Amino acid sequence: MTTDTGNETGRPPGSAGDEAGPDNERGGAPPVDPDGRLARLWSDANKPTLLMVGVTVLLFAMLGLASPDFLTFANLSNLATQIAPIVIVGVAMTFVITSGQIDLSVGSTIAFVAAISAELLVAGLDSSLVIVLGVLAGAGWGLVNGWLAAYNNIPPFIVTLATMSIIRGVALLRTEGFSVPIDNRLLLAQIGSTDVLGFSIAAWLALVVAVIGAILLNHTRFGQYVTGIGSNEESVRRAGVNTRRVKMFALVLTGAMAGLAGLLIAARLGSGSANSAEAFELTVIAAVVLGGTNLFGGRGTIVGTVIGAVITGAIANGLTLLGMSPFLTPIITGCVLILAIWLNLRGRDIAQLTGHLLGRRE
Amino acid sequence: MADESPLVELRGIRKSFGAVTSLAGVELTLGRGEVLGLVGDNGAGKSTLMKVLAGAIQHDSGEILVDGESVRFASPAAARRKGIGIVYQDLALCDTLDVASNLFLGREPRRGPFIDRAAMHAEAGRILRDLHVRVPSTRQEIGRLSGGQRQTVAIARAVSTQPDVLILDEPTAALAVAEVEQVLRLIADVATRGVGVILITHRLQDLFRVCHRITVMYEGRSVDNALVSQLDTNSLVDMITRANATDADKEAASDH
Repeated sequence: MTTDTGNETGRPPGSAGDEAGPDNERGGAPPVDPDGRLARLWSDANKPTLLMVGVTVLLFAMLGLASPDFLTFANLSNLATQIAPIVIVGVAMTFVITSGQIDLSVGSTIAFVAAISAELLVAGLDSSLVIVLGVLAGAGWGLVNGWLAAYNNIPPFIVTLATMSIIRGVALLRTEGFSVPIDNRLLLAQIGSTDVLGFSIAAWLALVVAVIGAILLNHTRFGQYVTGIGSNEESVRRAGVNTRRVKMFALVLTGAMAGLAGLLIAARLGSGSANSAEAFELTVIAAVVLGGTNLFGGRGTIVGTVIGAVITGAIANGLTLLGMSPFLTPIITGCVLILAIWLNLRGRDIAQLTGHLLGRRE
Repeated sequence: MADESPLVELRGIRKSFGAVTSLAGVELTLGRGEVLGLVGDNGAGKSTLMKVLAGAIQHDSGEILVDGESVRFASPAAARRKGIGIVYQDLALCDTLDVASNLFLGREPRRGPFIDRAAMHAEAGRILRDLHVRVPSTRQEIGRLSGGQRQTVAIARAVSTQPDVLILDEPTAALAVAEVEQVLRLIADVATRGVGVILITHRLQDLFRVCHRITVMYEGRSVDNALVSQLDTNSLVDMITRANATDADKEAASDH
């Protein structure tokens, strides 16, 4: 790519006549980095994320030693499939948490979309249409959350706590708690059982979502405003940004991605149940926070979220391989969440966090 | 400031919040390239007046003239369009974003759908160099800068939108001595470019350093107006505290 002067939109007045303005002409303020590239990389790096990379390596080594099956390709591919929904929803949740919000309703949205899409398939709708409707339904619930939280100033913690109950409730009411089987000849069921290059379609989708998420967060105005709003919403608002729309869109993202995850889970299980993805929001939040995204907002990392998902997934996977009870998983997840929050607070106390989540201004 | 129509003229500005009269008829003029000190005790209405001029709140009665044209600002954006920039006391910076991101917040240069970071940092470096603002790097997070550096970045941001009027609310409060110098130099620099600057401050030494003229507010009114060259510290303190005003004057002022 050439470094043309690209004087298109957004340039402030007075920037004309600036020919690819090099950083190195020494004038008043030298914005060249003073202590070398490595030092800057280190100072820019998200320390909690780096720590988690180390934890992941250690965890994989320990599980590999404890169980010879853990580090096999088959199991790692299986692990990728298991964590795909966590990554997909976690990427969207990274935007929500970075903007200083929270979304507790994602598990319910997954169950809703899984159950309703299975019903729609039974009713004879085409898979491709059901996939589109499933993602749209998730986005629709996200829109409800976003409208209530961003435009009506109800703390997102409260809004999504309520919709968490409502959304699953609607799905339960529809299905009366029964799981709805999906004919395995249908495209959606095929998606759940097809492998591409050794990995499931869900795993590849998770990778795509993570890449798009990282670009969105780091290289677009939307990502910039999400970070800015989490840091100081009033500043971003005064800069002329429609902060409510940005906050609402973040919640629409979690809704849509929960819809996608719901479709993938239904596809993998071959049925849709209003009881699926119980406590899923906790796993996702644990993954995001574990990865280094700040619970107070203002700092988010997609790479960290993927690492966080890998850690939570590897623990559950490893426990199964070691022959432990699967019922240990929720206990471990809860403990990991507490540990992650404890690491994340870094000097601030839990009272500030509850104050923040309940929408009190600091 | 020897222009026929002043850059800004405020006539009889009044503003009440419920039963509380915050502004009870304020007169103020500002010329091009002039630095006007706006002084007065806490609660005299300085900040409220500036919020009116910046469109953040709307006055009840009175007239705002910019370049001799009567205007009424419905929003901060409307005031900005008329060339009025303001740096609030809380600076409105995002601590976790870097210097360039804060400078361009809300108007980031783009290449297609993406932020053009290279252009943004180059342009930010140019703006800061232009104003002799020193920061370690435009990639530095704002939260890691000193108070003075943050202040100068906030002022640089306001200046980079090329305002005709720049309002600064207590820019030197809580800064170290060397940092105050940097900010004052920046103010003088901006004024020599023809920008009219209104400086709200409690620091009298700042007034003598950079201001050409001062307007004194007391109890929601503008009560005095004097050239700084004709003042010394004592007479200025007397003006602010209204030491020479008779009790009757004070009562008249506080009747509102």
